[in-house]
Amino acid sequence: MTRETYLLSRTALPNSHTLDVYRAHGGYRALEKILKGGYTPAQVIQLVKDSGLRGRGGAGFSTGLKWSFMPDPAKDPRPRYLAVNADESEPGTCKDRVLMEKDPHGLVEGVLIACFAMRVQAAYIYVRGEYRLPHDRVAAAVAEARKAGLVGKNILGTDFSCEIFMHKGAGAYICGEETGLMESLEGKRGHPRPKPPFPAGFGLWGQPTTVNNVETLQNVPFVIDRGPDWFKTMGTPKSPGNVLVGISGHVERPGVYEVPLGLSARTLLEEYAGGIWKGRKLKAWIPGGSSTGLLPASAIDVKMDHDGLREAGSMLGTVSMIFLDETACTVRAMKVISRFYDHESCGQCSQCREGTQWLAQIFARLEHGQGRMEDIELLSSLANGMAPAKTICALADAAAIPTHAIVKNFRAELEAHVTHKGCPLADAHAPHELEEAHA
Amino acid sequence: MTKIILDGREVEADPKKPLIAACHQHAAHVPMYCYHPGLSPVGSCRICQVEVKQGEMPARVTVACRTPVAEGMIVNTEAPKAHEARRQCLEFLLKNHPLDCPICDKAGECDLQDYSFAEGQGQGRSVEPRRKLEKRKSLGDVIVLDQERCILYSRCVRFFEEIPKKAQLTVAGLGSRSYITTFADRPLEGNYQGNVADICPVGALTLKEFRFQARVWNLTKAPSTCGECSRGCSITVEVLRRQEVKRLRPRPNPQVNRYWMCDHGRFSFDGLNTPGRLAGALVRGTRGLEPLEPHTALDALANLMRVHGAPLVVASPWLTQEEGKLLAALAGEATFVSPPPSALKDDLLHTGDPCPNRRGLSELGFAPLAAAEALTKLAGQGFALLVGERIGALLGREALATLPAGLRLVVLDTHPLDVPASELELGVPNAVERTGTWLNVDGIEGRLSIARSAPPGVAPLTRTLEELARRATPAEAAR
Repeated sequence: MTRETYLLSRTALPNSHTLDVYRAHGGYRALEKILKGGYTPAQVIQLVKDSGLRGRGGAGFSTGLKWSFMPDPAKDPRPRYLAVNADESEPGTCKDRVLMEKDPHGLVEGVLIACFAMRVQAAYIYVRGEYRLPHDRVAAAVAEARKAGLVGKNILGTDFSCEIFMHKGAGAYICGEETGLMESLEGKRGHPRPKPPFPAGFGLWGQPTTVNNVETLQNVPFVIDRGPDWFKTMGTPKSPGNVLVGISGHVERPGVYEVPLGLSARTLLEEYAGGIWKGRKLKAWIPGGSSTGLLPASAIDVKMDHDGLREAGSMLGTVSMIFLDETACTVRAMKVISRFYDHESCGQCSQCREGTQWLAQIFARLEHGQGRMEDIELLSSLANGMAPAKTICALADAAAIPTHAIVKNFRAELEAHVTHKGCPLADAHAPHELEEAHA
Repeated sequence: MTKIILDGREVEADPKKPLIAACHQHAAHVPMYCYHPGLSPVGSCRICQVEVKQGEMPARVTVACRTPVAEGMIVNTEAPKAHEARRQCLEFLLKNHPLDCPICDKAGECDLQDYSFAEGQGQGRSVEPRRKLEKRKSLGDVIVLDQERCILYSRCVRFFEEIPKKAQLTVAGLGSRSYITTFADRPLEGNYQGNVADICPVGALTLKEFRFQARVWNLTKAPSTCGECSRGCSITVEVLRRQEVKRLRPRPNPQVNRYWMCDHGRFSFDGLNTPGRLAGALVRGTRGLEPLEPHTALDALANLMRVHGAPLVVASPWLTQEEGKLLAALAGEATFVSPPPSALKDDLLHTGDPCPNRRGLSELGFAPLAAAEALTKLAGQGFALLVGERIGALLGREALATLPAGLRLVVLDTHPLDVPASELELGVPNAVERTGTWLNVDGIEGRLSIARSAPPGVAPLTRTLEELARRATPAEAAR
């Protein structure tokens, strides 16, 4: 069965990142439509609200609603900003990278429309430091668009002016958290801010700010161009539109795929990713990036949308699926995941700073044969102390959720690590993996 | 004011302050580490968890330092869920803490220790190795940092950013590898470094001066006022085993010094501990100054006043209002020594004027004199009184030694002066041994109280002056 795609419709074209190719395939039509068609900002926000577009950065909040939180400039004349979150750094997530590399003008157009709707005159695109090519492609697209009169003063001859600035992060996961991102943009350490105050009232440099994900903004020109009714023909009523799914791990065809929300995980694995590699069986999988936790193979028929995964005790997150085959060790996977969160915690909140380290130490002990049976209860107890909503941002939750998940879904394997005094699957690991594990 | 329900009582809360301030104002005990009433709240330690119910929303456990107060908000600081959240938070805090309380100077006044006793669990569950960091990192002349004890709540960082407004400390590293350090490892500078040892909730930042000097439970504490400049910061005087002053610390006073004091004032207690005090009285005899019963000395002084009339009084600017008033009544001419302004003047606390009671003494009619002016004046007198702590030092012992022997000089100071002109000397208590009032530069009263008793034979100066007034008055008038 063929499903309609739009987000990746241009990415296979030669020179898809250039203005000419973008324009030849309908690019900047949406911007022209709103600027020359006499649309008001409020009408644009209404269109996005009507489309039901939800943020693609992980939280899934209604984009139109978020935009409407920006104060009315007639009542609040402060400068206002759009910050674009291109700090994609959740392990397993690689969707924005494809968009920025292959379709950077789509992002620029999305940013311009968002700025028009929220009457923002300056947007900052915060790209993670490791994303060199994506950064350069977007920067080149902004320069090209500026030359063509699409960025800067009096865009397309109208009285709408908007600047786009590029910013490179230094590779900290926490700077992908929206308030951490704003601190980092201000030139400070990327320490998330407590909310309230919310960014719409007190954001970048204390001014009204909206933070949107790259993929969210890439959806916007399509919503404007083809209308909310078209948009709602894809996906589910509550989560319309297509999403980019990054599939990695032990599959035949890893990659980024555009799919409507609401398909089953099995469909994504088998139809898109070609099933588990080497003819092996599925053991465990992560639905939406490392913070969503390991699900057992039995959960593979879950519906991939916000509600379906909540029912399965997990989250859609950034829809970045990681599949582990039957030879993989879930404890070792958790050792790696927990070490990541320990490494990336900003260190502000007690529970997160100490808790992520503690979890990482326990998983490392379990994997290397120094585990105790009481460690399993300790893991749950610590995860309970860290989340939910006990810290300034959700990084502690991101470490606690997969911890709960492994205790719930793979308890037997944890216990086997204790009784076997180490990983019972160690013999099945490739020699280079073993070396790495014992390094 | 906003009305909230706090632990079942309806109380008024300041809407400009976070909820934790209202809890503390109304005696609801909510622990805190990162929050300090004098600094901006960051909400990072997560220990001040309380249960809050607003409107129709279900009750939630949240941090009180980042929660704005709202009309009708129902706050329960003792909710089981809030207790549990605080207990969990403490367990994480203690995971890497070295637990070296037996050798920690902060023990006994440590927030981490106190809350762990109040709310924590008896036993740790961690078997992991604890963080190893620098145990004694010198941060300049005043402060030592123990990075292992540090719980990273950045009060010290915010202090330098927000109070002297010159950032000097920062958190470096990330997550569990974070630590406090100075920029480019430079030593701390400025006149306000000592405050970070006060506000450090644990024993991470300690004063070099106080390190390993005393267990805090052996200190007796008395509220007092700093006498090192005319700001008159409210302080607490801390005395070890009723003898040595070991520490001066700021005492919150929103009108004067808020929560802070300068290092110059903080470390000014050496003079208060100088041995060789003048206990009782001395009179010049054939073999120099000889001990004398204080009441006999008073009789002798009263006699001098009857014979020579009211003396020139050169007072110390450390005299209290109470003392000044009595002294002015006895004086022929009332003056006080006004030392040159100090270079420590800043726009935060230090006024640059070393006289704690300039304003009060001036209002009582005492005229300020530079030391040289006072000495010239003394040289031309027949009878003069030098009164108050530090008076000998202010005028200079060597300069006083050149005064003509014909001058009948009577000295009331904490230490013997013993210059040829001095005929009679009486001991007086110093600033931590007496009660009284100073008026600061803005006319705000600063109270002194007794932190330790004066040496034997030394009466309060007010009593001495009253006695003197009684004896110097002609007998007929008294009758």
